[in-house]
Amino acid sequence: MADPVSQGLLALVVLILLIAIRMPIAHAMIIVGGGGVMLINGPMLVLSQLKTLAYGQFSIYDLSVVPMFILMGVLAGRSGLSSALFRGANAWLGWLRGGTAMAAIAACAGFGAVAGSSLATASTMGKVALPELKKYNYSGALATGSLAAGGVLGILIPPSVVLIIYAIIVEANIVTMFAAALIPGLMAVAFFILTIAVYVAISPESGPKGVGMDAAEFRAATLGLIPVFVIFGIVLGGIYGGFYNPTPAASIGVFMVWIYGILRRELSFSDMLASLKDTASTTGMIYLILLGAELMKILMSRIGLPQATAEWILNSGYQPMVVLVIVLLALIALGCLMDSLSMILLVIPFFWPVLSELNGGVYQLAEGAGFGMSTEDLKIWFGILALIVVELGLITPPVGMNVFVISAMAKDVPMIETFKGVMPFFLAEMIRVAILLAFPIITLWLPYALR
Amino acid sequence: MGHDLTLGRTGLSGAVAFFSSLWALFGGCVLLVVVAINVLSVLGGIVWRPFPGDFELTEIGVAVAVFAFLPYCQISGANVTADIFTARAGRRTIAAFSLLAAIAATLVAGLLLWRMTFGLLDQKNYGYTTAILQVPLWWGYCVILVSLSLLVLTALVSLKEAIHGVAGHAHG
Repeated sequence: MADPVSQGLLALVVLILLIAIRMPIAHAMIIVGGGGVMLINGPMLVLSQLKTLAYGQFSIYDLSVVPMFILMGVLAGRSGLSSALFRGANAWLGWLRGGTAMAAIAACAGFGAVAGSSLATASTMGKVALPELKKYNYSGALATGSLAAGGVLGILIPPSVVLIIYAIIVEANIVTMFAAALIPGLMAVAFFILTIAVYVAISPESGPKGVGMDAAEFRAATLGLIPVFVIFGIVLGGIYGGFYNPTPAASIGVFMVWIYGILRRELSFSDMLASLKDTASTTGMIYLILLGAELMKILMSRIGLPQATAEWILNSGYQPMVVLVIVLLALIALGCLMDSLSMILLVIPFFWPVLSELNGGVYQLAEGAGFGMSTEDLKIWFGILALIVVELGLITPPVGMNVFVISAMAKDVPMIETFKGVMPFFLAEMIRVAILLAFPIITLWLPYALR
Repeated sequence: MGHDLTLGRTGLSGAVAFFSSLWALFGGCVLLVVVAINVLSVLGGIVWRPFPGDFELTEIGVAVAVFAFLPYCQISGANVTADIFTARAGRRTIAAFSLLAAIAATLVAGLLLWRMTFGLLDQKNYGYTTAILQVPLWWGYCVILVSLSLLVLTALVSLKEAIHGVAGHAHG
């Protein structure tokens, strides 16, 4: 029990065992993390840390943006924003072959620019777009596949709750991370739309052409997009431009979405209560896992497992890039079993220090670094790559949550069809990861330009 | 309105669920106040001056709100679990796992309540306040301890339900 590797691995095995027998992930992490430190350093240390640890974690200023973006997303889902988005996108893309599915992707991207969660995006857009896709005789596989995949854009396009959590764990700047995510996110939209174009070129009967709209209808649908652009522009534009911090930006976002919902007469008092309750359960769950992750982090750093692992990898002579690819593959595999947020909170505190050590330490500059870039850049680049691969778990069997959400709505389409329909998008994502891996500049360019 | 605040429970458990839901809505209102402060601060910054101490009020407000959400999370089963590994397990096995999870929840809730009570005393004795508005930090702790007491009660409700679950399967 003396060496760090076996101690750390034992803790991880116990943790995974507890999670596997359905203990809530947060509780398992708190018990293993807290219990582990008690065993190593005696109970007094943890007990005195616990007096203020939870308050300290929950009152971190950077984290305060999380409940706000969650509330903003929940309100957006009930304010009629999604149908306006879909109508607008459909006006522009609907006349193409497969155009209504492309419009669903574009609308998901638009919704993702206001909400920070995949499931919310998939379920909200599914409600709006599925009936339309059915009306135009889209095949079940393409219709449900596009929506399940489109939901992922909720996380890939900033603001993104998972990305904020990543930034807090690795101590990166949230604004920088949001900037880094933008171009890869837009790339995802383009790739998904291209995927549909290829799909309907191969199988034309799955995505018939839509009917054209008359000019007045087109104009109305396009004007309906303006509020979304305004909200996105003020919230993220303000963040990128450095006018205000993410927290005030998100507050303004909440306020604007609320006004929008009131003006459209979609948000009733009952909707407000339901939104607050949704926000309560999502936020409470995330913060409790955060507390668990903090205790695990304390345990791991006391044991020194990340350092020991990095040392072991360095001694075994694996190339840093090989290690990175292995880490990403491990994340894809884990993503099949767990939800993305728990996974980020569970594994990043372990994986990131290892990668950082491989690069040459926290203060390493580009010169002579293991990955050929400074550790600060590596943090940004790895974050975006990790964000993409953990989200893949949402559309892969056996627990593809987005697929579950969409299939629950499209009762006439067997789930296997949805998984088939999602496959082309999964391939598109793999190509995108490969490109981003080969050309870090795509991710790093915008953060540099804004600096 | 269709808002079932007791979450389908009756008696004492129903009362706990009812207060947890109300308390979560109270937390939601605190969050809305934080939102309002931030909006006012930005608008104020444009026309006159930012809201004084908006940073520290955000920190306290969000912490108070999040603690108020925790009992509702526990009683509505919002805490995420990974069900995939036990998807094929029998109902009796699941009932036993639920019991273990409920014991863990009770342990965690009790530990937090116990330790943070001392946290409150520390904050009060040392007289910690925020930097700008001089808000005593122990004020926030008082509200949080109410949340944690509710969290213990909700965990006990989960524990009671889990024991019933195990007993039910043992007899049936």
